[in-house]
Amino acid sequence: MKNLFILTLTLAVFAASAGSEGARVDPADVTPLISAGYEPTDPDERGMWQSSDKIEVRIKDSNLLVRDPDLNNYVFGIIEKLLGESAKDIRLYIMRDPNFNASMFPNGMMIVHTGLLSRMRNEAQLAAVLGHEAGHYFRLHSLTRFRDVKTKTAIMSIISVAGGAATGSSGNNWYDIANAVNSALFLSVLSYSRKQEREADAFGVQLLAASGYSPHAASNVWGQLIEERKASAKARNKRYRDRSRSQFSTHPPSESRMEDLAEAAHELAMQAGEEAMFDNYHEQWREGTDSMRWSLLEEQIKLNDDGASIYLINALAEDGWESGYYYYLGQAYSLRGDEGDEELAAQAYASAVQSENPLPEAFRAHGYAQIKQGNSEAGREALSRYLTLNPDAADAAMIRFSIDQ
Amino acid sequence: MSTMRVAACLTLVLLASACTTTKDFSATGYAAPEAGYKLVVMEPDVSVSLLTMGGVTEPREDWTNQATASILLALEKHQKSRGGNTTIAMSRDDAGGDPEALRELVSLHNAVGQSIFVHKYAGLKLPTKKDKFDWTLGESAIEFGQLSGYDYALFLHAENSFSSGARKGLQVAGLLSCAVGVCVGVSGGQQIAFASLVDLDSGQVTWFNVLSSTVGDIRTEEGAEKMVTKLLETMDETSEN
Repeated sequence: MKNLFILTLTLAVFAASAGSEGARVDPADVTPLISAGYEPTDPDERGMWQSSDKIEVRIKDSNLLVRDPDLNNYVFGIIEKLLGESAKDIRLYIMRDPNFNASMFPNGMMIVHTGLLSRMRNEAQLAAVLGHEAGHYFRLHSLTRFRDVKTKTAIMSIISVAGGAATGSSGNNWYDIANAVNSALFLSVLSYSRKQEREADAFGVQLLAASGYSPHAASNVWGQLIEERKASAKARNKRYRDRSRSQFSTHPPSESRMEDLAEAAHELAMQAGEEAMFDNYHEQWREGTDSMRWSLLEEQIKLNDDGASIYLINALAEDGWESGYYYYLGQAYSLRGDEGDEELAAQAYASAVQSENPLPEAFRAHGYAQIKQGNSEAGREALSRYLTLNPDAADAAMIRFSIDQ
Repeated sequence: MSTMRVAACLTLVLLASACTTTKDFSATGYAAPEAGYKLVVMEPDVSVSLLTMGGVTEPREDWTNQATASILLALEKHQKSRGGNTTIAMSRDDAGGDPEALRELVSLHNAVGQSIFVHKYAGLKLPTKKDKFDWTLGESAIEFGQLSGYDYALFLHAENSFSSGARKGLQVAGLLSCAVGVCVGVSGGQQIAFASLVDLDSGQVTWFNVLSSTVGDIRTEEGAEKMVTKLLETMDETSEN
């Protein structure tokens, strides 16, 4: 009887809170709740920090961590641009995971997936997501959520996330680390409420404009993500639904959030006036991620989600087609293997080798495609070129064999 | 400890009675460390939390720090009593050896410890390891031993949760519900600990023990001593097989 009472109460509170979650949040209302150098004092918050610190030790050990100092410095530089002095409270960890996501722990540990970097077209877009994550930290969202979970009001949504966490556990994902150390904390980090997401959106877009980034970048990120997921669904003959594909994705894209962000950006731009200098920092982005660009795309291709991959490459290439985009587009077509894809792949590889600074791998792919189409002379030539560009290639012996055929 | 007894104990856990069990394994030919050995305790991992009414464990920093101090004290005392020279490495920098290699070693132990747990305790028995206990950390552990000069590395994990007042109320309500024929099990606070001993001469995990208990308080020196004694009891027993 008592249990039934509690359950009824829970549902009532849950329903009451759901009603207020849809409203747009005005960026001006979302001010940081904590300042630089913040240290928690309440026992539950201190406990969360200590648990997060334990997870952080394991994250530092993980072989999924991208340790490239140049890339880390570059991305952290964006956080500094956004947050100024408060950036010293944030610690960045770039984790290998081709899925779009980023997570913020209550102690200032920020996790960014490589799958987030692979989808960004410019520095402003990444800054939009980093600013959003910072919003979770400075608005103490994990703590609020954790307290919510404790009093059971949020238990329903937590259960749905827990279901995903159990099935998604594969041992090669950083989620397992966090889950093993403290699952309740981990789930409260993963399951921010819609209202909190909107708050973080508002916080982030405000930071963008204040740091000289185009505030429109935020809604662009969601726009791209929604389009990508539509393309992915279409390729799998599924209908796109306005929710995240993965239970883990803490940031379900929704059209209404995108619209709110666009509106906020418009207002912020108006407030800043015509002389305000907003930029997307596309060149800086190209330079900062140069060492990783193609390996990021390769991770995406390997997901075997060709609808998403083909959409993504075309979106990225809107800023200028390059050899790598053609090459990985060819790879995506080859993997898809529908009728006519072989020709599309061959065309893409041909464009890849004709582009400026062609990727060595493009010559290999082009060579084999040509041989397959009967142009053995051109094919051999391309394969030789691959060996010249990449004399220590692991597959050199096989390529030589193919040339001699 | 038979499966039956563990099951019986789990039932008791649900009924909120006092119960402590341990289940240990040791490698074939296991010999207890002999007097004068040098042991390093690697980053002991202790956490104490409050079990809230909703069943969420809320980590508590103050309790965790108390318990860590008590357990380390108990551990040193226990090892000293049997002639061991113990170093507690709270972080990797205190452990000696090559930090990068040590990072790998600790991660490797996490993975091996987990598979021991899954395959020896959680019931997913492996046919090839049915009557064997032959897990090893291999060369990297031997190298660490040579570099650091330790004979053994002990990995220790302990957690203790305490029911909040409201949770205790719920447990009572759960018990009462049995009276009307519908039992709702509400688990209370408990202690879980495991220890793993790695012989740095052979690289083998030579001894492993898991303790679970519904009583005790590792925050106090007395409670920590009880837990450590119970947990490490069979480490002193040389294997008969």
